[in-house]
Amino acid sequence: MTQSIAVYGIGNVLIGDDAVGPTIVHHLEALYDFPSNVVVEDLGTPSLDLAGRLAGTDVVLFVDAVSAKGAPGEIRAYTRAEIVKHPPSLRISPHDPSLKETLLTLELLPNAPREVKLIGVIPASLDQFGLSAEVRAAIPAVIDAVLAELSRYGVIATPRAGASVSAAFWEAA
Amino acid sequence: MTKRITIDPITRIEGHLRIDVEVDGGAVQKAWASSTMWRGIEKILLGRDPRDAWAFTQRFCGVCTTVHALASVRAVEDALSLEVPLNAQYIRNLIMIAHALHDHVVHFYQLSALDWVDVTTIPKADPKKASSLGESLSNWTGNSSKQMAAVQAKILALVQSGQLGPFAHGYWGHPAMKLPPDVNLLATSHYLQALEYQRYANQVVAILGGKTPHIQNLTPGGVANAINLNSEATLNLDKLYQVKALLDKVIPFVQEVYFNDVCAVASFYPEWFGYGSGVTNYLSVPDLPLDTKNTKFDFPGGVIFNGDLKTYKPISGPRDEFFRKGVTEETAHAYYKGSEPLHPWKGETEPEFTDFQENGKYSWVKAPRFQGQPMQVGPLANVLAAFAAGDPLTTKWAVRALETVAAISGKKVGPEVLHSTLGRHAARAIRCAVLSELALKHWQLLVDNITKGDTKTFNVPTWPKGEVEGMGFHEAPRGTLSHWVVIEAEKIKNYQAVVPTTWNASPRDAKGNPGPYEASLLRNPVADSNHPLEVIRTVHSFDPCMSCAVHTFDPDGSEVANVKVL
Repeated sequence: MTQSIAVYGIGNVLIGDDAVGPTIVHHLEALYDFPSNVVVEDLGTPSLDLAGRLAGTDVVLFVDAVSAKGAPGEIRAYTRAEIVKHPPSLRISPHDPSLKETLLTLELLPNAPREVKLIGVIPASLDQFGLSAEVRAAIPAVIDAVLAELSRYGVIATPRAGASVSAAFWEAA
Repeated sequence: MTKRITIDPITRIEGHLRIDVEVDGGAVQKAWASSTMWRGIEKILLGRDPRDAWAFTQRFCGVCTTVHALASVRAVEDALSLEVPLNAQYIRNLIMIAHALHDHVVHFYQLSALDWVDVTTIPKADPKKASSLGESLSNWTGNSSKQMAAVQAKILALVQSGQLGPFAHGYWGHPAMKLPPDVNLLATSHYLQALEYQRYANQVVAILGGKTPHIQNLTPGGVANAINLNSEATLNLDKLYQVKALLDKVIPFVQEVYFNDVCAVASFYPEWFGYGSGVTNYLSVPDLPLDTKNTKFDFPGGVIFNGDLKTYKPISGPRDEFFRKGVTEETAHAYYKGSEPLHPWKGETEPEFTDFQENGKYSWVKAPRFQGQPMQVGPLANVLAAFAAGDPLTTKWAVRALETVAAISGKKVGPEVLHSTLGRHAARAIRCAVLSELALKHWQLLVDNITKGDTKTFNVPTWPKGEVEGMGFHEAPRGTLSHWVVIEAEKIKNYQAVVPTTWNASPRDAKGNPGPYEASLLRNPVADSNHPLEVIRTVHSFDPCMSCAVHTFDPDGSEVANVKVL
């Protein structure tokens, strides 16, 4: 049976470079056709209910902003083991970061994803509206990183002839 | 000796809720609630097309997406005096209900249950006893001793590995944890099952709204769903029956599992019916409209003062001046300019940051007031209003909750216990059960209206000349939400969202009156200042939700909540 694969963009589109995950998804949707076993979706800022959504998918690839050492726009890849390395934190509101916790919770469910990866982009700023120049310039490289990762699972994304990317709703003037 | 505790989950770039309490004699004497992040999102909307506002507002946050979309289109419809076709009302109502069923279940199990349930005692549980307790409460099929034993084995493996996985952050072994191991096992089994059932509720939102999170089908004047029972591309009978099948799975989970678990937990913590009342002025608004003009509603709402149900005054609808004129926001203790209480249409969002000053400005949350009074919002406010209004479904489930608690604990409890930390959980379960019944009713209303031959889903907006004001409200899972818009020449001139958590996490106002979180924490016990579980219990009972989350992953693990004791 063909394995199910999901590419999820994560982040708040109204908060500066946190929009990078949804922006990459917007580009992928506009520029490529994917085989039917691949889902490409902008999840915004999901919460504790993410575990239920991931259960049953074989391979999950997240695209998100990461706070890591390095220059804005640089790409960092993380495995599941690296994501869950530190214990999850006390939750005050349902918003609190829940990626780690989601992956740990999935361990208790019968159909956790076999592989989870995160392609992270180092943000320049979360104080403005819209992407910074550094992160905007990194978009082609992030797309390449996603496509390279997908090809490891035998997924061929087909470029759409003559396709171009229109502004996402949050980018329109 | 007075100890000061600060609970602050902020990291380098995130801003969330911060709670400061002063503890003396084992109880909270003073409390401050503050948000550490600026909500400047309203400014992004200025000058934009009002028809696009809902797409932006549903990105305010990742949890309450749908509710901000809905309040926004309602505000624009109100400004344009635009009616909403019946099909569109019913489709929206179904989305709202499904979203609320999802949200209430997730809140209880994934956010709050571990405040009361100690998973580390599960190795000591007897799966047979856990099973028979579950089976004595309902006919739910997920309570067999085999299922209990399987969950126990998983938790045992976690405990033995020394890594508690998703439960690593809890206050395990805390003296305030009182559930017997069997009950902990039963509740933890349901914690895992909840992850599956909340997803079914979300799938209803996705089928009707096109996608979740972030539904795609709203537009001022109705919904973008085309209805043609014979077309695959539109909302058709097949999709409507998919919705029905999903609701048929979720409803028993709500009524037989979630509802009973809340009652069971409450029975073992009767003292928590005595803590956490705080502000007992309650505000909720009517929702689930039944006509195109928003004058008839299936779930009542209104205002109650001083916890006295006799003071109940209904809000008849969004055009009711009692509500429209009653709301103001103050900034005496919030990081904004200005000092006078302002009506939301005149609202300003000009930041003026100072450091945390407990007698000065200390929060990014404004202080909303109704007729000058702080108000508690949320399921408790909604249930009390519906109860005072004599709503039969609410009365039925409220009575059942009190009877179930009495049956398990052996002690009679009256409705007065609802003004409390546990009362907020009970009210949320009551509201969720009521909504689960209304889900099928509104599904039938939609199907009947379509089979009658009505396929209209949208009224075309016409733009008035000059400046117009609009208000859209929605009784969201966390309480009363209202969006206020001023439109001029088809552009947004002003926009203010007064969200449930703004009411509840409100700082003090100019008169020094605290907001609901702050007031509810007073006299809360705190057994161990380094592990203020009791403070977390009361804060969680409100279902806090600071608008706009930044979900940036931090591989260095610095996203820990910081509990600081001075």
